[in-house]
Order: sequence, then C-alpha cells, then structure tokens
Amino acid sequence: MRTGDYKQTYGELVALVDSPPVWLWSAVLVLALIAAPHVLNSYALSLLTVILITATGALGLNILTGYTGLISLGHVGFLVTGAYAYAVLVAKYQMHPLIGLLGAGVVPAAASLVVGAPSLRLKGLYLAITTLAFSFIINTAILEMRWLTNGARGISVQRPQMFGVSFDGDAAFTYLCLAIATLTLFATLNIRRSRVGRAFVAIRDNDTAARVMGINLHAYKLLAFVTSAFITGIAGALYGLYLSFVSVEGFPFLLSIEALAILIVGGLGSALGAVLGTILIGLLPEATRIILGLFSAQMDALFTTGAQELKSMLYGLVIILFLRFQPRGLVGAWHDIRRTWVHWPLRY
Amino acid sequence: MTALLAIENLSKRFGGLQAVADVSLQVAPGEICSVIGPNGAGKTTLFNMISGVLRPSSGSIGFDGIDLATIPPWRFAAAGIGRTFQNLALFKHGTVVENILTGRHTHLRSTVLDAVLWFGRTRREEISARQRVEHIIEFLEIEHIRDAVVGTLSYGQQKRVELARALACEPKLLLLDEMVSGMNQEETEDIARFVLDIRDELGITVLMIEHEMRIVMDISDRVHVLNFGRKIAEGTPDDIRRDPAVAEAYLGGNRAATTARTTTGADA
Repeated sequence: MRTGDYKQTYGELVALVDSPPVWLWSAVLVLALIAAPHVLNSYALSLLTVILITATGALGLNILTGYTGLISLGHVGFLVTGAYAYAVLVAKYQMHPLIGLLGAGVVPAAASLVVGAPSLRLKGLYLAITTLAFSFIINTAILEMRWLTNGARGISVQRPQMFGVSFDGDAAFTYLCLAIATLTLFATLNIRRSRVGRAFVAIRDNDTAARVMGINLHAYKLLAFVTSAFITGIAGALYGLYLSFVSVEGFPFLLSIEALAILIVGGLGSALGAVLGTILIGLLPEATRIILGLFSAQMDALFTTGAQELKSMLYGLVIILFLRFQPRGLVGAWHDIRRTWVHWPLRY
Repeated sequence: MTALLAIENLSKRFGGLQAVADVSLQVAPGEICSVIGPNGAGKTTLFNMISGVLRPSSGSIGFDGIDLATIPPWRFAAAGIGRTFQNLALFKHGTVVENILTGRHTHLRSTVLDAVLWFGRTRREEISARQRVEHIIEFLEIEHIRDAVVGTLSYGQQKRVELARALACEPKLLLLDEMVSGMNQEETEDIARFVLDIRDELGITVLMIEHEMRIVMDISDRVHVLNFGRKIAEGTPDDIRRDPAVAEAYLGGNRAATTARTTTGADA
C-alpha cells in the first residue's frame, strides 16, 4: 500500500506521469512493440499495423469529440482527404514523402475549417448530421475532380523511402506507424495538460462559463476541428499506404462509426482510452472469429463471406454493452482496478 | 475618484418582458457593493450583461475606461471581470486544480504548437500557473479537496471552487451571484471573511448579489436595490434599512410603510 504522493517541486506536479513504475512498464511496452515485427507472422503484423494507424486516427477524433464534445460522424472524410492529399502530392507530383505527410495533415485541416464553421452555431445531433453530410460531399468531390484524383479509378501509392530508409517492407512500415502513433499520443497528452486542452474541455463541460473565463469559443472550436483533422488526415495517409491504393471505396462510412465506437469503448475524453479502445475494437472481429471458429467451421466461413456486416453488428453490440455496464469505458475500469490495487487491503 | 464600473441607463428586454429597465449605477475601486431585490428583480440579468453572457438592449457599461460594447464578450475576462454563477457552472468532470487552472486561461500564452512540444514555454507557463493556483487554494482553505473531482464535492465546497476559479482570472472586479445561498451559518461566515480579504488583501473590487441580509448589511459599503428591473434605492446599508421604498418592495402594499423600520431592522 502506498501512503501518498509527496512532491517537492512544481515541475513534478505538472509532469505527465509521476510514478517510475509507469515509465518502466511503458518502456517495456515500447520494447515489445519494437521487437514485435521480428516475432509476429505477417498476418499478426498487419493487424498490429492497422491498430497503430487506427490509434492515430482515434486520437485525432478524441480531440474533437472526446475533449471538446463536438460529435463528428464525418471523420472518414478527413481520413480520405488526407490519403488523397498524400497520394496526389507524392504519387502524382513526385514530392518528398515528408511533404506528402505534411500535406496529408494540412489539407484536411483546411477542409475542417469549412465543416467547422457551422459547428460554431450547431450542437449535438445537428452537428453530427452536418459532419456526416460533409463526408459524403468530400466523396463526391473526389469522384468528380478526375483531373486531380483519377476519379473512381483511384491512385496507387508506394510506401515511401525517407532518409535512406525504405519503408517498403512490412516491418519497416510498422515502425513508421509506431513512430507516428507514439508522437501523436504524446502530442495529444501534451495538448490535454496545457491551456489549449483545458479550453477544449471547458467548452465541452460548460460553454457559458468557458467564455466568462476568457475563452474565445469560436476560435477554440475551430482549433479543435483543425487539430483533429490534421491528425486524422495523417492517419488516412498511413492507411492509404497500408492498402497501397487510395480510392473512395477504401474508406467506407463504417470507419466513422468504428472511430466513435473506439472512443465510447475506451472512455470518452481520454487519450489512454482511445488507445485501449482501438486495441479492443481492432482485435474484436479476430477474437470473435477465433472463438466462434472453435465451435464450428461454418461460423468461420461466415466471417469470410460477411465480414463487413458482422463487423457493424459487433460494433453495435459492444457500444450497447459498454454504455449499459461500463459507461466510463475501459479507462474507467482501469482506474477502478488501479485504485483497488493501490489501496489494498483497504477499500479506499 | 473615477468609478471602476459605470453603468448608464442599462436595459434588457426579452420579448415583452422588461428584465432590466434603465438602471444606472457606479462602483468605485476598492468598494464592496451589493445588489439586492426580490426574486425576478433582474439582478442576475444585470450580472449577465456585465460579464458578457447577454448583450444589453440599450444603455452602456463602462469598465475601467473602456466601453464594454466595443469588445467581444470573451475579452471581458482579460479586461478584468471575473464572476461566479448562481447555479454552479463548474467543469464538473475535472479536478479542483484543473478547474482553477482554467481560470488562468487569459494569463497564459501557449499556442497549440507550443503545447504539443511541451518543453519550453508551455512547461514554464504551467509551472507558474500551478504555483498561482496553489496560492489561491491556500487563500480559500481548500487544500484538502484540491485533487477531488468537483462533481463529487458538496454544494458549499463547489461554490468555493467557483470563487477560486474566478480569483484565478485575477479580476479587477469580481461579481458574486448569491455566494451563500444554501450555506449554513459557518460557511456563510467563512465566505463573508473571504470577501473582505479579497478586497483588503488582493485589492479586488466586489459586486455581489445577495439575499442573505446579514452579509449584505455587515460587509457592503454600498447597496443598490432593484425591483421589477428598476433601481429603486441606493445608499449605505443604514440608508437602505430605513428606506420605505425598499421595505415596500420586499413586503408589498401599504402595510409595509408602517412596519418598514421594525422588520428590516430586525432582519439586519
């Protein structure tokens, strides 16, 4: 049992993590992730890569929906914009991949200003519908702008070569995704503990009080949109690279729902929650397939034929179960476990 | 001595309802002023206009040499106006410290890029902000609850956190909307003591709405009385106690005129 938290400087008070064991376990996790590509088979490795990319996107959505409380059903629009921005810049105009990644952030961020503007007046369901419309408009625009996007034919992209390192191999590409996901995690954690993050949360919890505290509501809502779209766009570019082909069909609307499911399952408004939620949702279809496969081979076959339909059913089921039994999400459960552990054998 | 807050002929209409009508009042620097009046007199509407929550229908609010109509509402905090709300308006998922830190918003400069990098400007700012917050926590004697989530605190404690958050803005003028409603005797006395300390030690001018006559009469330098949106009286607590118009507003009708002295006197 620990007796308390004793701090001697203000620097310790504002630190990200104040306990050495957390740093130790995080370091172990990072080492495990670095070792993973050499241990895992190619199927498991691709699953890991998708989880890392999804985590990046979920962290992006978390800034808007989790921190600022603005519900977006159109985040797939930012994903696809980011993927196309990268594909057009790198595959079509032969720019440096880094410029491509930057563009994959900047272009969706600019687009988010357009969809963010109505958010200054809309709330809740109305905003959700507006963002939904945005994602469909984006799809149509991409299909129509054939001179730039090849329309329905899509653009094939090759994995980049940067700083003399080729990210063509699966292991190398996983490292790229790992690096970007880790940077994104730290970026969002840092935003959360600064004045910007507090302003976002203040807008979510009580916008009148936020304005009386001197927070410019319009500017900060747009800032939340821009930051969120920037990160999501980069995740979109990575996903395009993962598929090695960028097309509108590669980014179905289900991804928007999946992203919201991740946030609810993980625990709204928490970066750790977004990561935990990604892991659960990412592994859920696989785990279900394996478990059901144990019972009969027919079930296994069902998964290969109706993967999309079963996925959306699973997401729905998981959202309902979490809202009913663990509304604070995985991160809430984690806090409860940790409290019990720290205070044991006392109740609290 | 020029007034810190100078309200001229201020009015607010909601459709057919005249919530505030032609109110003028002045608050001098270093004063503790009270606004009293029966329910629905327009006191909170007046506060909402001073703090930028509502725009006036007509009239002007001058604050510290600027006309508040010329700046957007979110700049009021930076201009030096802080407030608490009648029905708590805390960020209820955050801890006490986080809530108070939010009050430091206008005093910090980090952009989102600074925040992402963290080291450098943002870390420096966060440390100094945290230092200020700890001083405020000590000042208001809420050390024991500093890491609690505000949603789990009692009403009186939450009110005190709101006061702390308003102080973190370092306002020149602090608007307190019914601080002591629902508090017991001891908590009320604590708040009265804090209000005096806020004026005397921190040099902040206080304008408060209060129904609790003891605190109004004990610590106010001036009292303004509203009824049906109009100002019906102004003066020192003693003047107000003797004012027949005030007694009539509170007690109604002709009966009030005869009982005015005894009732309000006893109340105070």
